[in-house]
Amino acid sequence: MYLNLENVFKVFPPRGGASEVTAVNDVTLNIKKGELVTLLGPSGCGKTTTLRLIGGFEVPTSGKIILDNEDITSLPTHNRGMSMVFQSYAIFPHLNVFENISYGLNVMKVSKDDIKKRVDKVISLVGLTGFETRAPNQLSGGQQQRVALARALVLEPKVLLLDEPLSNLDAKLREQMRTEIRRIQQTLGITSIYVTHDQIEAMTLSDQVVVMNKGVIEQIGPPQEIYKYPNSRFVANFIGRANFVKAEVVESNSTRASVKCLGTGFDINIKEKLETGSTITLILRPELLSIAAGKGNLKGTVKKSLYLGNAVEYDIEAGNQLLTFSETHPDRMKIFESGEVIELELHNEILHYLNE
Amino acid sequence: MSTNADLKPLRSVSRLKQRMQEFSLIFRDHVLALGLLLCVLFLIAFIIYPILKTAINGFFNSEGQFSLEYFKRFVDPYYGPLSRKIFGDTLTMGLLTAFGGTLLGFIFAYTIVRCRVPGKKYIHILALVPTVSPPFAIALSSILLFGRNGLISKGLLRMTFGGNINDIYGMDGLVFVQIITFFSVSYLILRAMLERLDPSMEEAARSMGAGKIHIFRTVTLPLLIPGIAGSFLLLFVESLADLGNPLFISGNTTVLSAQIFLAIAGEYDYQKASALAVVLLIPTLVIFLVQRYYVSRRSYISVTGKPTSGLIEEKEGWIRWPFIIVTYIICILILTLYIAIMYGSFSKAWGIDYSFTFEWWKQMFARGTESILDTTFLSVLATPLAVLLGMVIAFLVVRKNFAGKEIVDFTSNLGGAVPGTILGIGFVLAFSTSPTILVFILFFVMILFALGVSLQSNKERILAGTAGMIIAIILNYIEKMSVTLLIVYIIGVISLLCGIAEIISKNRKAGRRFIILGLYLSTYGLVEYVVHPLSRMISRIPSGVFKNAMTQIPDYIRLFFQLPHPILGCIILILAVLSFLKKKTKTGKIILSIMIGCSTSLIFAGKPLALVGTPYIILAAYAVRSLPASVRSGIASLQQIDPSIEEASAIMGADAQYTFRKVTLPLIMPAIIAGMIFSFTRHMTSLSAILFLVSPKWRIVTASILSEWEQGGISMAAAYSTLIILFVLIAISILYFVTNRMIKRRGGIDITWGA
Repeated sequence: MYLNLENVFKVFPPRGGASEVTAVNDVTLNIKKGELVTLLGPSGCGKTTTLRLIGGFEVPTSGKIILDNEDITSLPTHNRGMSMVFQSYAIFPHLNVFENISYGLNVMKVSKDDIKKRVDKVISLVGLTGFETRAPNQLSGGQQQRVALARALVLEPKVLLLDEPLSNLDAKLREQMRTEIRRIQQTLGITSIYVTHDQIEAMTLSDQVVVMNKGVIEQIGPPQEIYKYPNSRFVANFIGRANFVKAEVVESNSTRASVKCLGTGFDINIKEKLETGSTITLILRPELLSIAAGKGNLKGTVKKSLYLGNAVEYDIEAGNQLLTFSETHPDRMKIFESGEVIELELHNEILHYLNE
Repeated sequence: MSTNADLKPLRSVSRLKQRMQEFSLIFRDHVLALGLLLCVLFLIAFIIYPILKTAINGFFNSEGQFSLEYFKRFVDPYYGPLSRKIFGDTLTMGLLTAFGGTLLGFIFAYTIVRCRVPGKKYIHILALVPTVSPPFAIALSSILLFGRNGLISKGLLRMTFGGNINDIYGMDGLVFVQIITFFSVSYLILRAMLERLDPSMEEAARSMGAGKIHIFRTVTLPLLIPGIAGSFLLLFVESLADLGNPLFISGNTTVLSAQIFLAIAGEYDYQKASALAVVLLIPTLVIFLVQRYYVSRRSYISVTGKPTSGLIEEKEGWIRWPFIIVTYIICILILTLYIAIMYGSFSKAWGIDYSFTFEWWKQMFARGTESILDTTFLSVLATPLAVLLGMVIAFLVVRKNFAGKEIVDFTSNLGGAVPGTILGIGFVLAFSTSPTILVFILFFVMILFALGVSLQSNKERILAGTAGMIIAIILNYIEKMSVTLLIVYIIGVISLLCGIAEIISKNRKAGRRFIILGLYLSTYGLVEYVVHPLSRMISRIPSGVFKNAMTQIPDYIRLFFQLPHPILGCIILILAVLSFLKKKTKTGKIILSIMIGCSTSLIFAGKPLALVGTPYIILAAYAVRSLPASVRSGIASLQQIDPSIEEASAIMGADAQYTFRKVTLPLIMPAIIAGMIFSFTRHMTSLSAILFLVSPKWRIVTASILSEWEQGGISMAAAYSTLIILFVLIAISILYFVTNRMIKRRGGIDITWGA
C-alpha cells in the first residue's frame, strides 16, 4: 500500500465554551498508488479533518500516517510533496494565472525554462490557454477552479488532495469538471484523495469510496459494492435511498433463505446461514420495486402518488409498512387514487440485508 | 446507527499533552517560535513588568518598607476630604465625558449612516481629526477661543472674567474638551454597528404598525446597547487616562492623572505617584476587562460581517434635521478649534493684538529644532518596530492556537489602554537601574531556546551550555578588570574568527553573516572616531537653526551602532542559532557554544537594560503605546484572508518564511501601511508615557509644548501643535495616496483599522 493511516485519532481540545471534539476516531485506511479515493460523509463527519491530517495541516493526537514506507506523521506540510485543491480554491489574489500555477515550481527552484514548459503543458491540460496573464478576479468560478487544479497538478505530487473542489460551482459546471478531474487523474495516474458530501460525485469519480460518520469509517469499497451491499443503515441511507423492512427468517441454508415480510414471503440470496426465527432487515432500494399488474409478487395499498415528470413517486403500504419507490418506465407511470390496491414486483434475487 | 457513546473509548489525551502539542507545532517552525518568544519578552519587559513595578512601588516608601501611607490618606481626617474630592472629580469627569462623548458619537454615527447629508466624507474626516492631534490641542484651542483672553469670549462677546464668574477653566471646560477629543472612538464603534444593523428588523417592526419612537426604543436601541455600553466604557477609560487636557484646563479642579504627574514633577515623590497610579489603575483595568470580555461578547450584531446592503434612510424631517444641525455645528466647532490653533501660532499677542507675525515660529525653530527632530527621528524609528511586533502578534493570535494566546492579545492592548503616566512611572522605576529579574528572564529564555531548538540530545545541550557559560565567565572577568567596550571588541574578533572557520568548513552563508556581525561589533567603539570629529565640526558652526538641527546627528549615528548590550547579545545568539539550523556541522556546534558564551556575557555586561536616559527607552515606550493600533489593523486584515491561501502555499512546498514573504505580506500590506501611519501618529502625539523619560540629550516635542506653555507662551505652544498636526496630516495623506493605489489592485482598506 502506498498511503496508510494507522489508528489515527484527532481530538480537538475544548475551546471557547465548546466541549472536546473527537473529529477523527480510530481511522485506518490503506490507499493504493494511482487510486482515486473519496472520503464521503455528511458535514462534521471528520472527512475534511482526515484530509488535513494527511496534508499535515493538523497533527494526529495519536496514530501514524505512512507514505511510501516513510512515517510522515509529524513531517511539516511543506516537506510532504503533496498538493491540494481547496474548497475556496485559495488562489493567490495578488498573482496572475501563470504566477499562481508556477508558484510551487518557484519554491522548488525549477529553472525558468522548465517552469515555462511545465506550466504551459498543464495550462493546456486544463484548458486555460490564453488566460496566463489574467488576474484571479477576472476569472469565472469555473476558470478559478481550473487554475487551482492546474496549480496542484503541475507539481506532479505524490498525493493530490481535493477538498470539496466542486461545491462552489453550479450544477452544469460541476458535472463537466467532475468528468474532467477523473480524466486528468487517470491520464496522469496521480494518487488522489477526494473529499465530498455529494454521493453522485463519489460514485462517478472513485476507485474506492470511504463512507465516514461521526469520525468513524462506516464502510470502504468500490462504488458499486458500497451501493449494492451497504453494511449499515447509515450507509444505505446516505448513498441513495432505501426502505428498511424487518423480515423473519423461515428457513435457511448457506446460500438461500426464505423470509417472511410485508404480508408475504420471499426467497433471498445470502452469504452465510441464518438462524431460523431470527429477524433481519431487508434494504429495499426504490428501483427494486416496480408496478406489475397481474404478475407481481407483492400487494400494496397506494397512499400517495406524486408526478415528477420523468418518474412517478409512490408511497405504498404493504403489510403495515410504508414503502417509497419511484416508477420510471413510461408505460407503467400511472397516477393511482389513494386507497387503490395494486400489484408490485419486488426483485428479490438482488435484495441485500443487514443482520439486525 | 452508531452514536458516539457506543464507540470504543477515546484514547484519552490529557489537557497538558494537548497544550504541549500546540507548542510543539509552533516550535516546529523556529522563526515563528522566535517571533513568539520575542513578542512575549517584549510584552513582559515593557508592559507587564513596568505596570507591576508601579503598582508594587505604591506600597513601599523610599526606605523600602511596606507602607500604606498614601492609601490611608483617603480616610485621613486631614488629607481625606481633598483626596476623596480628587477621586470623586476624576470619576465625575470620566462619567460626564463618557456620557457626552457617546451621545455625540451616536449623533454623528446616526447622521452619517441614516440621514442623507451633504459632505459625508468631510464630516467623517473632521470627526477623526481629534484622534490624530496632540493630546492637548483641543484644550489649547479652547483656551484660545473661550479663555479669559479668548477670541470668542472676550473678542466677540466682550465678556470679562472677575471674581466668581465661570470661565472655561474647571470641570465644565475639561469635560467639553474631553468630549471633543474622544468622541471619535464612540462614533467609529456606533457607526460600524448601525451599518451592520439588519434593516429588515426595523422594517418588520414597522410593518406591525409600530411608530418611529416605539421602534427606536424597542428595537434599534436594544440592538445598539452593546455598542453604546462599549463606547461608554472605552471613553471612560480614555478620559481617566488623559493627562494633557487636565493639566491645562482643569483650573482649580484636580484629577488623578494630573495629581500623579504633579507628584513626580513637583514633589519628586515616586511612592505617592505610584500609590495614586494604583488608585487610577484599578477602575481603568476593571472597566477595560469588562468592556473586552463582557460587553463586546454580548453583541447581537456580528461586526466582522460585511455591511448590509439596504440601509434605512431617515425620512422624517423632525428627526433628521436636529441630527444634521447638531452634526454640522460640531463640525464647524472642530474646524474653528483647529483654525484657532493655527492662527494662534501666527498672532502677535493673542487676546490683545491679533496681527500676523512669524515671531513664534522663528522662536520655536530657534529653541525647539532639536526636540522636533528628536521626536520625528524616534517616532519614525519606533514605527517599524511597533508594526512588526503588532503584525507578529496579530499573526499568532489569528492563525495559531496556543495556551496563553488570550493573554498575549490582552497584554498587547493593555499597553495602550492604561494611563500613560502609570507606564511612564513604571519605566522610570524599572529601567533606571538594571532590572535584574528581566535580565535573567531574557538570559534563560534565549539560552533555553537556543539549546532547545538547535541540539538534539540533553547531553549535547548540557555540554554546549556549560562550555558557553565558561566562556561567558572568562569574558565577564575580563570586563570587570577593564571596561565593557573591551569585551565587545573581543566578541567582535571571536565572531570574525568564527566566520572564517565557517567559510573554511564550506558554510559560506553563515560565515559571511558572522564576519558582518564581527565588523558591526567592532564599530561599537570605532564609531566614536567618526562621531567625535563630527561633533567638533558641528560645534564650530555659527549658532542658529542650522546648528541646532545638526547637533543631534552624532547621537543619531550612535543609536544605530551602540545598541544596548543585551540586545546585541540576543542578535548574536539568534544569528548563531539560525545559521546552525541551516547546516548542522561539527564546527557549527563548537561555534554555537562559543556564541552562547559571547551572548551570555553581553547580556550581563555593564549595567544591562538600565535604559533610562537612552533613546531606546523612548522607542520602547512609543512602541508600547502604538502596539494596539497595529495589532488591531493586523488582526482585521488577517481575518479577511482565507487561511487556506497560506495552506495552499505550504502544501506546494513553501516553508513558513517563504509563505509569509510571498503570500501573507503582500496581502496584508495595506494593513501594515495603515498600522505604520497610525503608529507614527500615535508616537508624534504621545505625551504622558514619555514625559518622565525625556532627557537633556533626547527631547520630545510634546514635553516641550508643556514647558513652553507653562512659561506663558500660549502662541509658542500653538506653533508646536500646528507643526505636529502638519506632520501628522502629511503622514495621513501619504497613507491615502499609497493605499488608494493599492486598492486599485485588490481588496479594500479600512482607514478606521488603526483608530
